[in-house]
Amino acid sequence: MSDLFWQSAVDLARLVRTRAVSPVELVRAHLDRIEALDGKLRSFITVTADSALEAARSAEVAVMAGGTLGPLHGVPVALKDLYCTRGVRTTGGSKILGDWVPEADATAVARLAEAGAISLGKLNMHEFAYGPEGLNPHYGAPWNPWDATAHRICGGSSSGSGAAVAAGLCAGALGSDTGGSIRIPASLCGITGIKPTYGRVSRAGVLPLAWSLDHVGPMCRSAADCALMLGAMAGYDPRDQTSSVLPVPDYTSALTGVVKGLRIGVLRPFFIESAAAAQQDALAEALRALEGLGASLQEVELESVGLAAASSTAVVAVEAYAYHEQWIAKRAAEYGPDVRERLRLGAFVSGADYVNGQRARTVIRDGVDHLLSRLDVLVAPTTPIAAVPVGVGSVEIRGERTPVRGALIRYTRPFNASGHPAASVPCGFDGDGLPIGLQIIGRPFDEATVLRVADAYQRATDWHARRPPLVA
Amino acid sequence: MEPLAVDALRALARARGLELTEPELEGLLPLVEAARSMMESLRGAGLEGIEPACQYRIL
Repeated sequence: MSDLFWQSAVDLARLVRTRAVSPVELVRAHLDRIEALDGKLRSFITVTADSALEAARSAEVAVMAGGTLGPLHGVPVALKDLYCTRGVRTTGGSKILGDWVPEADATAVARLAEAGAISLGKLNMHEFAYGPEGLNPHYGAPWNPWDATAHRICGGSSSGSGAAVAAGLCAGALGSDTGGSIRIPASLCGITGIKPTYGRVSRAGVLPLAWSLDHVGPMCRSAADCALMLGAMAGYDPRDQTSSVLPVPDYTSALTGVVKGLRIGVLRPFFIESAAAAQQDALAEALRALEGLGASLQEVELESVGLAAASSTAVVAVEAYAYHEQWIAKRAAEYGPDVRERLRLGAFVSGADYVNGQRARTVIRDGVDHLLSRLDVLVAPTTPIAAVPVGVGSVEIRGERTPVRGALIRYTRPFNASGHPAASVPCGFDGDGLPIGLQIIGRPFDEATVLRVADAYQRATDWHARRPPLVA
Repeated sequence: MEPLAVDALRALARARGLELTEPELEGLLPLVEAARSMMESLRGAGLEGIEPACQYRIL
């Protein structure tokens, strides 16, 4: 079967289950593609070809035995390299943990394996997840597949996850999101990703950037694939004291394709109004599509959003510094320059500042809850800009010079502060052929509605089905 | 808000166990100043009476 690597995770699972495709064939096709393309893409830090093939052979035996198969049986996935993997080095994209081999899997990794997914390896990322560009001085900066000639950022910190999924090197990937690190690379790489509600998916065994803001979730080529992966990962975990005991709904069943009557809040002030023209146009078209599907639109304002930057800075700086304190004092030279500087900043933020940051989160969370008390979801651009070339530090948006780093996280980090679920889906391309993302934010623990809107939109459009030129 | 001098930053860094070179201090200073300004904005944000967010949900 040709082009196995462009099949959805949903279809691959079905093909394996019906014996139309062998898991060994599937894994080999993806490993061949990684071999052919990843020298340029640099999306992987470690490829676990031998263990993937061994798992594929076992998966094939299970298929032939006719027993019960997991929902992701035989589906090749890859893991951001901050998910602990038993017996496989987990670097966090760093030199400091360059040779570290954990003794146990992260809960999310173990659950994906229980569901039958086969890991192809560990994905590149911004060092210790501390940067939205997705650059990495130790393992090379991943190449955005949407530009064959210029080296553009993938967005981060889950940059390798974005590049690998967009290039068809794996059917799905795990990312993590502290200020936008699932949604930003999803937006810049033209794929779909969801940051679930804080507490929905266990963080046990995931290297932290900032414990109280870290969220883990899937990145795939469609909302349906994200639903499948999220369903396999989500749920209470005694290893993570912040994981919720709320039951996990069947996300795939929630994808009815129907959004008629759904009330959608459109975040224009701060969000749409400050985006670049191409992003505004794409959003306008996406809103027309959703309205055409029967949803009702209402423009709304999140008044507390102005607190997000300071709140996020206070919380991330202090929590990250606490985690890195010993290393940054004794092994500073082993960090990349940008992360080293950012970590040191945390030494100068006080305890009172930290608590004020957490107090501001209360206000932000209440503001989002208030809007969602009369609306089903909110929508906004995921990022105000598309992928910039590596090395570009600032861009002009609507006549104003803006640092790239701040621009990338502007629309996403409010929902890390609030903990609400938020997805990014492709909704168009700019004049350079670079993808644009639509962000969909839902009520706490209502990932099902977020995914339903995303899926309905993808049934009506084909932005998510486009393939990047580097690997078409 | 009083601007922070490099000497003061050096002293603060040492107190936290960080030995920074002059170029490192000079590079860090604008970031620290920007962060101080942001933290100051939180102090003026009307957060009196508001408790810190508790993300450890019992749900």
